[in-house]
Amino acid sequence: MRSEETSPVTADRLLVSIAEQLKMPLLHIARQAELYGSADHITPDKMLRMQLSAEAALRLVDSYLLGLELAKGQTALLLEPVSLSSTLVDIAHQLEGFARLYDVDLELHVAGKYGPVMAHALGLKAAFLSLGYSLIEALPSLQAERRRMSLRLAAHRTPHGLVAGLYGNATTLNTRDLRMAQQLSGEVRQPFTVLSATGGAGIFVADTIFRAMDSKLRVGRHQKLSGFAVTLQPSKQLQLV
Amino acid sequence: MRILLIEPDVVLARTYQAAFERMGWAVDWAPSAQAAIDCADAATPDMVILELQLVSHSGIEFMYEFRSYPEWSDIPVLVHSLVPLQSVAGYDILCKQLGVREYYYKPSTRIVQLVAGIREHVGVAQ
Repeated sequence: MRSEETSPVTADRLLVSIAEQLKMPLLHIARQAELYGSADHITPDKMLRMQLSAEAALRLVDSYLLGLELAKGQTALLLEPVSLSSTLVDIAHQLEGFARLYDVDLELHVAGKYGPVMAHALGLKAAFLSLGYSLIEALPSLQAERRRMSLRLAAHRTPHGLVAGLYGNATTLNTRDLRMAQQLSGEVRQPFTVLSATGGAGIFVADTIFRAMDSKLRVGRHQKLSGFAVTLQPSKQLQLV
Repeated sequence: MRILLIEPDVVLARTYQAAFERMGWAVDWAPSAQAAIDCADAATPDMVILELQLVSHSGIEFMYEFRSYPEWSDIPVLVHSLVPLQSVAGYDILCKQLGVREYYYKPSTRIVQLVAGIREHVGVAQ
């Protein structure tokens, strides 16, 4: 593994966390099948709900497997120039259906032109998708009132690099919460008590992947929203071109 | 009959809500302990279905708060949780002190079983 600092979430703990997390989409499918199966007919939107839950489970497994390989150092991560803007657009597109399932409005804020960043294209996408699924699932349970939740996928430039993140309008996270959750992940059933009623596996999978890319998941803010972000380094090679 | 459903996952909540409404029951959904107290305050439920694993405050904390109000002290509460029974710390307290009627492990409890449990505990005819 490239990074000197290894993830505090070990492969075993990641597995426990993911197993807990998988209960949810499987429960969605099982209970919806029971409910709708006894109805006269299943409408296309109900079928779509089950499909989205199944796809969320599959993506979680895929991200876990990638995270596991990285945590064990089996995959040498080749960092290459990756277009951050187009990656975020693609991620937003993939999260769209799941966000609708949870009544969460998904916003994409990629203001300005960014050159490529040094990242592992597959890892970057998997990490943000994992994060996205976790936050979409968590946001409705954080609402104080019956208002619509929104999740913003955003990028902005800082002196330290390009910051990409996912931010919600109901989250009030701080670094201490994240550190504590990392310590507790896989050890307790609900490590991120201020954010998620589940194991929040997607957050730890994303953290593992980012660390293997010489980066680190951190708590971040975008305008008035709070969430998770990662700082990525611009590709110097292409800046010279 | 009015059910207060305390369920942090919106997709599951919608599914159970649809199932209960099919029975002709009114359902108030609360994703958190605080929202549940607010719901109960707005309309007293005849039955509470409680997930123990909630954001910020646990189901056990909710039960202490809920039972501290005399008007809610006799409302039947069924735990319907992702937490396996053997992992529930303080289950004795939940049952003996806080009056939880029964425990259902969510992954192995079908909707039809939960509905039967609700009927049993509020005395609704089958």
